[in-house]
Amino acid sequence: MAKIFAGVDIGSLTVKVVLLNEDKEIIAYDSARGGYQGRDVATNLLEKLLAQHGLHKDDVQGTVATGYGRVNFPAEKDVSEISCQARGIHYLFPGARTIIDIGGQDSKVIQLLPNGRVGEFAMNDKCAAGTGRFLEVMASALEVNLQEIGDYAAKAENATEISSFCTVFAESEVITHVSAGKPKEEILAGVCYSVASRVATLAQRVGIMPDVVFTGGVACNEGVKKALAQEINQPLLTYEEPVITAALGAALYAVNL
Amino acid sequence: MTKKRNYRPLRSADKLKKTMNRYYGLTTYHRYWGKIAKRPLAWVTSGAPVELLRAFKIHPAYPEQYAAIYSTNKATAQLCQVAEGEGYSQDLCSYARSNIGGVLRPDLAPLGGMPKPDLLVACNNICGTVLKWYEVIARHYDVPLLVLDTPYLTHEMTDHAKEYVLAQLKDMIIQLEKITGRPLDEKELAKQMEISSQTTSLWKKARQYCRELPSPLNAPDLFIHMAPIVVLRGTKAGLEYYKAFHEEVEERYKEKLGAVENERIRLVWDNIAIWPKVFSFNKMFTERGGCFVTDTYSGGWAIDLAPGSPLESLAATYTEVFLNRSPEFRYRQLVELIREYNADGFVMHSNRSCKPYSLVQEVIRRRVTEETGVPGLMIEADMADPRAYAEEPIRNRVQAFLETFDD
Repeated sequence: MAKIFAGVDIGSLTVKVVLLNEDKEIIAYDSARGGYQGRDVATNLLEKLLAQHGLHKDDVQGTVATGYGRVNFPAEKDVSEISCQARGIHYLFPGARTIIDIGGQDSKVIQLLPNGRVGEFAMNDKCAAGTGRFLEVMASALEVNLQEIGDYAAKAENATEISSFCTVFAESEVITHVSAGKPKEEILAGVCYSVASRVATLAQRVGIMPDVVFTGGVACNEGVKKALAQEINQPLLTYEEPVITAALGAALYAVNL
Repeated sequence: MTKKRNYRPLRSADKLKKTMNRYYGLTTYHRYWGKIAKRPLAWVTSGAPVELLRAFKIHPAYPEQYAAIYSTNKATAQLCQVAEGEGYSQDLCSYARSNIGGVLRPDLAPLGGMPKPDLLVACNNICGTVLKWYEVIARHYDVPLLVLDTPYLTHEMTDHAKEYVLAQLKDMIIQLEKITGRPLDEKELAKQMEISSQTTSLWKKARQYCRELPSPLNAPDLFIHMAPIVVLRGTKAGLEYYKAFHEEVEERYKEKLGAVENERIRLVWDNIAIWPKVFSFNKMFTERGGCFVTDTYSGGWAIDLAPGSPLESLAATYTEVFLNRSPEFRYRQLVELIREYNADGFVMHSNRSCKPYSLVQEVIRRRVTEETGVPGLMIEADMADPRAYAEEPIRNRVQAFLETFDD
């Protein structure tokens, strides 16, 4: 019988599942849109992944849940995504000392001690500025796909300044720029800088030490990545699948249950 | 199935309830006895020199304390909306907003709101908001407002500041003599200060048992059982209450009974309680063995009266309150508490309402961690307005913070 360990990250927008074997090697991972049905989506995703790899529920020796939906998910343990993110990133990048994570509903900066433990952390507070949701709102106002933001921003020669912190006010600011005939590329570059500067302030509060790893759904956005690297004046490392690192951390916790 | 309790209830809670109910009863029905007994009712700020007022037989009522009661009774949001509807900004302190809301709509306020005051006494040692807030109340009821202006202390107390406050106290006495029709009874003032000093000393001693492991008290105990030290300081009822409270805490200390089952993480709390969530917030800590062994807030009433003549003592004591002190003082205070109480960490409530308490916390947090090596968590919320409390993000931070103490 195979020995499998599962990490389930039920985030505000997406659900991520990672399966590890007992040697802590990634066997499978996947993500899906969660939302209202987060927990059901997570259960189905886990079952689907197991079936795809010819595995059975009983092969799973331990499950750890993280993310906003962690509390009521049937797992052996729930661990905050801050601890999971730290565990996952330390595993992938042993030299990492700072994690910048921008997810759907929050952004956080975690300082790692050399042994991989959490030193300090800071998160955005009760405000969607500097999060994936901010980008979603702006993408929708400009009628572009979320994934295209980076490509548009890359083509811009100048970035339009978005001065409002508030997502709703920033959206009306964007609409004003649209009416003024500003090119989409420049507005989107401005949107990326707005997210980056907000998160950079958070990072300064914790202190930025290299290596800096950028994770979360927004790490796929080249526009924000470039702007953020400039703002904090540090190169950013990213894992090829930046959304699954907290789920990976959860799975690593599951191995050590 | 009985719900698992992570904390040990205090049996003094019954006596507390009786003591406070009697005070609320007297306050609510003041209109029936106040005039006959020639004892005016004053609304006073938490940092007002109440011993002097009591020497004039004034019955004090505390809008801040009523605001906390409004909040634990889940009335604050509605009362704030009443005030906001009248044009008061959402950025204004929620104690002020809910108090003004309760003045405008007493039918929405727990305890039927506060009884009409005969005079107001505001001291700005706790914040600047009280000045404008009390001016609004003074206009509304058309009653006199006495203000005690305590200069902010950037370092230690100065002779100049002390003389300035002393001169105001002397002036206040003249005004109080006019308002109450009584001369100042110096013996009575000395007696008030003696009772006040004994009460403070019992509150202080009881708190100090929490230096031991396990701590006999946790933050909700401190927050709930601080009510008499605020509103009944200088009264026999207050003194009697703290004798009983002290005795119970001493007993717990002797029997090594902790407030929290399996105390594992000892924490210091900074800022006013989050009244609308005082128990549910704390549960996130107790269920993981976290105990708040002391705090800067209710500890503000555990400070001995300063030496000197009664008036000199009042001038110094009320000017030297911690909220009227420099970030340097506050930093040292927190470091000392962490060391004295063997704390593993500290939690700061960045309180949207209380600017003087919250504004400098980030600087203090960093310096305290540098000095002690002990981690500090910042929580954003509000002391009374539940609309400023985001359950999930707070749970997330608290859990992550407590996980850093795991192996």
